[in-house]
Parts: sequence; C-alpha cells; structure tokens
Amino acid sequence: MSIKGGGFQKSSKPTDEVPTSSLADIAFLLLIFFMVTTVFQNDRDRPIEWPRALAAQKIDEKQKNILNIWMERDGVVYINDQAYSMEQVTTVVAPLYAESERALVISIRGDREVQYRFIDQVQTALVSAGVVRVVFATQLEQSMQRERR
Amino acid sequence: MSILGKKKSKVSDGVNMASTADIAFLLLIFFLVTTTFPKDKGLSIVLPEPGEEAQVSQKNILHLIIQPSGIVDVKRGESQQIVQMRPSEIEGLWRQEVSANPNMIAAVKTDPEAPYKFMIDVLDALKRANAERISLQILEN
Repeated sequence: MSIKGGGFQKSSKPTDEVPTSSLADIAFLLLIFFMVTTVFQNDRDRPIEWPRALAAQKIDEKQKNILNIWMERDGVVYINDQAYSMEQVTTVVAPLYAESERALVISIRGDREVQYRFIDQVQTALVSAGVVRVVFATQLEQSMQRERR
Repeated sequence: MSILGKKKSKVSDGVNMASTADIAFLLLIFFLVTTTFPKDKGLSIVLPEPGEEAQVSQKNILHLIIQPSGIVDVKRGESQQIVQMRPSEIEGLWRQEVSANPNMIAAVKTDPEAPYKFMIDVLDALKRANAERISLQILEN
C-alpha cells in the first residue's frame, strides 16, 4: 500500500506482530459479563455442624429461589443474617414466598445436635406460611468421595 | 565493535509481551471450565398444604418412633408390638415392607428431645430405600 517516496517510509510498513491493543477490551468485557451474571448467596453462613446424609441430592433450583433458614444448636433461627423467634418465622417467610410466586424452596440448615422440637416448630411455621418445598440441607462427605471415584 | 554495537541496538531488549494475553486467556478459560460452585445438597420433602389432612388406614402405616438416644421403635399400624432398631437398619426394613404393601406410609415420629441428626439418619435411610410417602411428626406424650 505504501507509495515509494511518499513520505510514509517506515510507519506504513505492515508490522509482523498481532495487534494486541483490543485484547484488554475483550478481557474487560468478559470480566464485566461474569460480574453481572454471577449470583452470590445473599446471607452469611452461620457456624453450625452439618448433619450428614448419603441420599442427599442437589437442590434443583436457582440460587435466588432458595431461602436458607439457619438453626443453631440453641434453637435460634436466622433468616437473611437476622435472628428471629419461632413466632416470627411465618410472618417473615410468607411475604418472601408470595414475592417469589410460590417458587421458593426453603433450605433448613439445622445444627445436627439441635433438638427436634425446634425443627418441628419451624416446619409448622412453614406449613402455615403455605410453603410446600422444603429441603433439609446436609453435608455429604461420603458421597462426595463416591462421586470422585 | 561498532558493528556489534549496532546489532545490539536493533534487537529489542524487552520480553515479547504479545503472548501474555494468550496466557491470561488460557488461564481464564481453564478456571472457567474447572470451577464448580458449591451447590446446596439435602433431603427434599414436600410439606402438606395448610389444613390438608389425609385419613390413612392404620394397616398402611409404619410408625418409626425416634428416641432421644437414637434408637428407633418400629411399630406396625395395628399391632402393639415394638421392634427396636438402629437407623441404619431402616433401609432394609422399608424395602421389605414396601414390597409387601406398596401403599405403606412411613410415619416418622421424633421425640422433642432427640437431636435433629437422628431424624436425618432415619430420613436418609428412607430416601435411600426410595421411600416416597413419608410423614414427619413430633412425638406427643
């Protein structure tokens, strides 16, 4: 393309390097894409000791449709990083359940040593909130090993 | 000497940076492919609708009463005979029961004082035996 003696002697000469100036744009585009699409768990983990179960299955639901109800050893209930009493569970869960158009799955994350009376009270509260789908969240050391095998 | 000096000045003394982007993208793609997010796992159940109560004939109920010690008292609907079992033995028991009577319902009654883990153990055993009809209750004194 260069015209001999046109005054563009060296700059118009095609370079033998790949143009790398746009790669940063691509990388940032990807970065922003993943930042926008990633959904994080919206509450912090409570310090509980998980119960274990072999038959546990993955919860087949989007992260935003899962509501965690944490229950510590002394029976204190935490929903979205806030402690509630048993009587409040229905009034907290019912509007969230209606908001999700009944798609919400409740994940009960109880400490393995918590007395069953508290689990039952939460279940009763969930029934009166109209919740249908409930998962008893467990950790599964053995089945994780089984998957790897 | 002067020729050598000229040659040196033509060879660039910087590391070729063109391939660093390739390396970065390779790493990006590698981590994208290998990352698995921790998915929640658990034992799923379906709660009854409020006010929904089904009448079930006693002969279709297998009572599993969980004691605070973790021992399970197994009682068939009509009979008063109680067999004590460990949660790990429930799986085999349920397979037998359901092959004899496909309409069987497992009524898991847990003592209020019993730790949650024993209820999970029994529920786990029932799930492993592919039990579909499970009722979770609290043991009333």
